Amino acid sequence: MHDRRRVLQWATFARSWWIFDANHQCPFQSANRLCLFLEGKHKPIYHPLSDCGDHVIVINTKHIAMPDRFWRAWRHFHHTQYAGGFQVQRAWQVHREDPTKILKKQIYSTLTGNLLRKGLMARLHLFPEEDVPEGMLRNVSNQIRQVMPVPKTLEDYPIEERESFPRVFEWPEEYVVKDGKEFERQKEYLDEDLSLSKLQ
Amino acid sequence: MTNRGIPSAFLRTTLHNGIGRYVCQLQRLTIKFCKEQKQSRGVRDFIENGLVDFAKNNPSVAVYAQVKRHRSPALVAEYLNGKTHIIPVAEKEAAELLEWLDFLRTRSGEDLIRMRKSQHTFSPSIQGAWTPVTNKQVFPPDFTFPNNELFQAHKFTESATDILQRLARKSTSKTD
Repeated sequence: MHDRRRVLQWATFARSWWIFDANHQCPFQSANRLCLFLEGKHKPIYHPLSDCGDHVIVINTKHIAMPDRFWRAWRHFHHTQYAGGFQVQRAWQVHREDPTKILKKQIYSTLTGNLLRKGLMARLHLFPEEDVPEGMLRNVSNQIRQVMPVPKTLEDYPIEERESFPRVFEWPEEYVVKDGKEFERQKEYLDEDLSLSKLQ
Repeated sequence: MTNRGIPSAFLRTTLHNGIGRYVCQLQRLTIKFCKEQKQSRGVRDFIENGLVDFAKNNPSVAVYAQVKRHRSPALVAEYLNGKTHIIPVAEKEAAELLEWLDFLRTRSGEDLIRMRKSQHTFSPSIQGAWTPVTNKQVFPPDFTFPNNELFQAHKFTESATDILQRLARKSTSKTD
């Protein structure tokens, strides 16, 4: 092959690095999107037999958002191959042990089950928080768009916007509004009761 | 024999034949037949009725008729690239012979082997090969990733809050 053609080949098959913020993202929808980049399906040169996928860094996997009641209902199965070695764990239990595992297993099962899968998984770098190693972050040349908008909490809105939010009516001056700390107050009260009962 | 062992080639034409002008690649046609045997009957029919017309219609092809006593008949086509294509035509009717002759006349003379693809080009891309940065936004070196402002999800529908705010703005503007 001519020298120039050879370099063109390198340029075409160069691996690029992507970053994805999993904060408040559905792991199932995210897996579908991330698999496109891991398999190289976003490239016009894609072929199922050629290993042309990219590297993907995923941050904030600890803060993924499971849809519906899936934190309790979604189950992860494991068998040690020994008698009685079957285990079932709920999503919240798996997430408590390893905050990257739910997304990792979802991506693994979304990828096509062929000999390339192990290599593709090796190009997936998951981090529970935002602390990505400096050298790895330097490779990143582009970002993958999030799959769903991140919800804003009340603190995220500036005070002016909060004040100017349209209201159907104003509370009267003498009306006492609950501050939403009823549960904490009850708990304190209960704790006091318990401590009192212990003393007696 | 394995599929990889079978000779294969990409689709091609001889020297861009047909672009501008067409040169018939068939140069010489020899019809070998027997005067006596039954299996050459169709060839003998064709020589009596259709061969002169064929030769007149294709002046660039040299046509020979050779008598081979007690041999099975055959069409021997020789092409501009030096290749020879032999078609045994024993027990064939004159009408079928005409079709085989048409096939030989319109061929390029290249070997008939397995095609790897049904389409091929010798100039794969005029624009140049694709690279990961082709038609892509290239970020300046001081750009820091992740940037969640730029890569947040597209919002295609209004949320309930958005609708409420829009209605409220509408009503206040009316009262003003």
